[in-house]
Amino acid sequence: MASRREVLQGLIVSIGGASALAACGGLPTVVSTSPTVAGRFYTRREMALLSRLSDLIIPRTETPGALDVNVPGYLDGLMSDWANDATRRAHRESLLQLERSLEQRAGGEFTLAEESVAERALTELDAAAFNGDDNLRGYRNLKGYITRAYFATEGGAVEELKWVSVPGRWDPAVEISS
Amino acid sequence: MADFDAIVVGSGMSGGMSAKELTERGLKVLVLERGPEIVPERDYTDQLAPWQSPNLDSVAQDEIAEHYPTQYGGVAYAIKESTKHFWVKDDEHPYVAAEGTSYDWLRGYHTAGRSIMWSRQTYRMGPQDFEANKQDGNGVDWPVRYADIVPWYEKVETFIGVAGTAAGLPQLPDSVFQPAFELTGAEKALKSKVETAFPGRNIIPARIAHITAATAEQRALGRSNCQARNRCEHGCTFKAYFSSLNATLPAAERTGNLTIIHNAIVQSVEYDAASNRVSGVRVVDAQSNEKRLYTARVIFLNASAIASAMILLQSKSATFPNGLANRSDQVGRNLMDHVSGAGANGLMSGFDNMKVFGRRPSGGIYIPRYANITEKNKPYLRGFGYQGGARPLGNANGQIPGIGQAFKEAHRTAGPWRVSVGAFGEQLPNPNNRVTLHAARRDRWGNPLALFDVRYSDNERIMLEEARKDAVAMLEVAGCSNINSSPVNLTRPGNRIHEMGSARMGRDPTTSVLNGWCQAHDIPNLFITDGSFMASSACQNPSLSYMAFSARAVDYAVGLLAEGKI
Ligand SMILES: Cc1cc2nc3c(=O)[nH]c(=O)nc-3n(C[C@H](O)[C@H](O)[C@H](O)COP(=O)(O)OP(=O)(O)OC[C@H]3O[C@@H](n4cnc5c(N)ncnc54)[C@H](O)[C@@H]3O)c2cc1C
Ligand code: SF4
Repeated sequence: MASRREVLQGLIVSIGGASALAACGGLPTVVSTSPTVAGRFYTRREMALLSRLSDLIIPRTETPGALDVNVPGYLDGLMSDWANDATRRAHRESLLQLERSLEQRAGGEFTLAEESVAERALTELDAAAFNGDDNLRGYRNLKGYITRAYFATEGGAVEELKWVSVPGRWDPAVEISS
Repeated sequence: MADFDAIVVGSGMSGGMSAKELTERGLKVLVLERGPEIVPERDYTDQLAPWQSPNLDSVAQDEIAEHYPTQYGGVAYAIKESTKHFWVKDDEHPYVAAEGTSYDWLRGYHTAGRSIMWSRQTYRMGPQDFEANKQDGNGVDWPVRYADIVPWYEKVETFIGVAGTAAGLPQLPDSVFQPAFELTGAEKALKSKVETAFPGRNIIPARIAHITAATAEQRALGRSNCQARNRCEHGCTFKAYFSSLNATLPAAERTGNLTIIHNAIVQSVEYDAASNRVSGVRVVDAQSNEKRLYTARVIFLNASAIASAMILLQSKSATFPNGLANRSDQVGRNLMDHVSGAGANGLMSGFDNMKVFGRRPSGGIYIPRYANITEKNKPYLRGFGYQGGARPLGNANGQIPGIGQAFKEAHRTAGPWRVSVGAFGEQLPNPNNRVTLHAARRDRWGNPLALFDVRYSDNERIMLEEARKDAVAMLEVAGCSNINSSPVNLTRPGNRIHEMGSARMGRDPTTSVLNGWCQAHDIPNLFITDGSFMASSACQNPSLSYMAFSARAVDYAVGLLAEGKI
């Protein structure tokens, strides 16, 4: 049987499969992305920030992480094809603002910061955002996008959320340990 | 010689039932549907997995602004990239609200109408609902009583399939039930605490038109049990929830007596003054603009309450200069809906180690009306029911603190359970609340636009204020924390999508449009069995009643035909 890690590797490859599907099935063009290359919407700098944030918020564990399922590419598609100009502008501004706050907290460029430094900076900012700091509403929004995009991918939905297409029955009381 | 025995205008919730009942009695029936055909294999999207719809399945923002501002503004949760084809484009189907008012006319034009997109909450009206107008003097007395409609409720429920539990409540009589979707633990706790603290209040599982123990008749129509997927607003390839397309239209089709023509916009009904009968309908083809006339011995209007009233108003003749069957001047008046905008939610502890399996479709709980029934002397007339439920916060779309593995795995634990309830209140009939034909503006087929003028009364406002307080009190006795209850903000008229009353039934031809059989007082072979006939709105979701009255009216009309009376 394939190990978790091998399954994960397989999943990464299957993202390429998703764009192949797009070509024949009319699906959105979620092109595979890299933190060092601009997307259709995001600049190279924004893509680097978004990739780092996605990875820190939803890392690879025994299930795929946000990067494994190409959340940055998903959001690049969302901003290109779904958002209107006002949403795009607000999204850009909040990324910029976020970058500055994280830079302050990390004491330097966030995308280049050591793992532990970046993690600490984001943990701090996240706590403030969920503690009523209204200036960080943009971050909460972005976290929402990242999470929703993650669970809207096959890896996030099936592997992590255990989403099943046809449950076939309703059980209102399942003990979590079971 | 007429082209058909009967014409049914509209293939939605009520039209499907009229067509089924008429064809099963041997009549040759023409159903005219203004929208395009829905082909389940092609147009249902319930089999798409989440990752097969682009952009979180959201319709592009610019597209919403251009085509769906009203529809989306009214029912954002139902209008997805994969379901938008079930909704009209506002720019293609405009209407007007009178100065100082607003109106949500939320709809889809296609085979089966809104029975494709409805939420399937299914309740009988109770004895008190048929007596309310007489008792408090609002509106006109219903010419029928609860007992008259009981056999028709039973017939319709047996056919469509309703999941629910018998509760023995006089004000919300039990239906013919298939097994209910069981309440969650938090819902059971809410039920026991609320029922103890408020002895006249009850919490029951929502009654929904889903098959959970398919009958032989349902299986024969290709219907099977609900698979708990909650993909219903996409259509259902299991045909497990009731829609005209999943049930009544196939039943009509298999009789061999049904003809259905799509893209046929009925503009007016032909009236023959010499015989005082309607003889047919005039139609414009939505695509070719070609005009046609179809004739029949009896006509059923099932285009929905607003559209049917407009068809009558558009059908002017020397005998009926103000619109067909409108001697009473009540056509288009007394337009009602239900009113929401009051409720509460809160967190319930004690269930953090519990989650659910499967996705229960539609609502969880229903709190039947108690106001002015088990609890008297309220500062308002009539009452409301609550829809609601309790579910684990679970995947809160990222709106929980934390990052990394802990954040990710927080989505596996169900987390605290949120209980929420929202009121659906009765709206009093008022002749000044009406839809008329706009004097100047027309749609692309030359039909006058609908002009709405609907306002709430103090009764609705006071009722909802009280409903909000009651909701908070119930969550408090249930021990909820973090109780949230926004100030009452009444939904726009029409927003509950239960529009009705525009050709009310009543005993007196001078004050009502229809008699107790949904038959026009003025014209014996004209029947209207969509929500137009409703003399009051009650507070229950109405579609079951539309279907029961449709079946009853057909039985009556076919009897009259057989006796040669129409
Ligand atoms: C999102 C949503 C949730 C709902 N939830 C519930 C619920 O839980 N419980 C409940 O009881 N009700 C619910 N409803 C309301 C329910 O859908 C309606 O009560 C019901 O569909 C009304 O039936 P009808 O036959 O009058 O109209 P419709 O089902 O709307 O059918 C009317 C048909 O007539 C056609 N038509 C219109 N004008 C013309 C014309 N001029 N010529 C030819 N054809 C025409 C239309 O295209 C349509 O197909 C909900 C509705 C929506 C949209
Ligand atoms: S939940 Fe039931 S009714 Fe709804 S789509 Fe699934 S099977 Fe059909």
